[in-house]
Amino acid sequence: MAGTDNPDEKTLISRMKSGEQQSYHEAVRAYTPGMLAVARFYLDRSSAEDIVQDCWVTVIDAIQTFEGRSGLKTWLHRIVANRCKNRLRSAKREVPLDFSDSMDPDLDNRFNASGRWEIPPKLRFDESADTLMENCALSDCLDKHLSALPETQRSALMLYEAHQHKSDDVCNILDVSASNLRVLIHRARQKIFLMVETFQETGEC
Amino acid sequence: MLMCRDLAMIASDYIDGELGTAGKLSVKMHLMMCGNCRSFIGNLRASTELLKAHTSGTVDEEFVRHVDERVAAALDAKERGDDQT
Repeated sequence: MAGTDNPDEKTLISRMKSGEQQSYHEAVRAYTPGMLAVARFYLDRSSAEDIVQDCWVTVIDAIQTFEGRSGLKTWLHRIVANRCKNRLRSAKREVPLDFSDSMDPDLDNRFNASGRWEIPPKLRFDESADTLMENCALSDCLDKHLSALPETQRSALMLYEAHQHKSDDVCNILDVSASNLRVLIHRARQKIFLMVETFQETGEC
Repeated sequence: MLMCRDLAMIASDYIDGELGTAGKLSVKMHLMMCGNCRSFIGNLRASTELLKAHTSGTVDEEFVRHVDERVAAALDAKERGDDQT
């Protein structure tokens, strides 16, 4: 596991240890979205928000014992994951996970019995991702489909893509095996692929 | 022999460089012969980039502000407590 070798992060941590308000303002802004993504893997939205807020309050004291063996982001995400697991344990609930198949049924239907494409991909990307994102309708459509993803798929995807965790870290934080994580990520990406294809073809979400 | 459906199943592993040498080689061989799968891999990669561009800018501003205020209040309370001791 990589420790804290980023000088900006080291400075931020020592400012947090000294209790400087501005450092917490910066840290909250930088790390809250990722912490929320972790919590949403385990809990509904309102419980997840409660947990993240409570974690930040405990961080004010806990930061004194932070030794920098992992990065700050990983440390914060672990605190959130542990709290969520405790909450689930006390409620005797488990996170439902579906790892049965790495193929999305809508994509799977596009192959014939011999495993060749029956309905080949139609999508053509002629523009960069940033240019495409300037299309508000596409951006809204992505939001809609992201929120329709099963929570487990969305959180894994967020941590891996948006918060740029390494696979090992995501597995540790979410308590899933490496192969299950691959399934979660692949399923989520297929959904996004199918959505963008429909959008580009029909202009509708 | 890798079929299109097999390739679609492991496409994310290929994109993320998670396949072993033999797996990578059989995907590359298939891609040399199959235009549909080349499109699929290209599209899945582009969808992934699009998602990355989209999600990195997604922040629930209101919630972050709420957390920020609560942390600031907790810091104030701690400082006052420390002053009294």
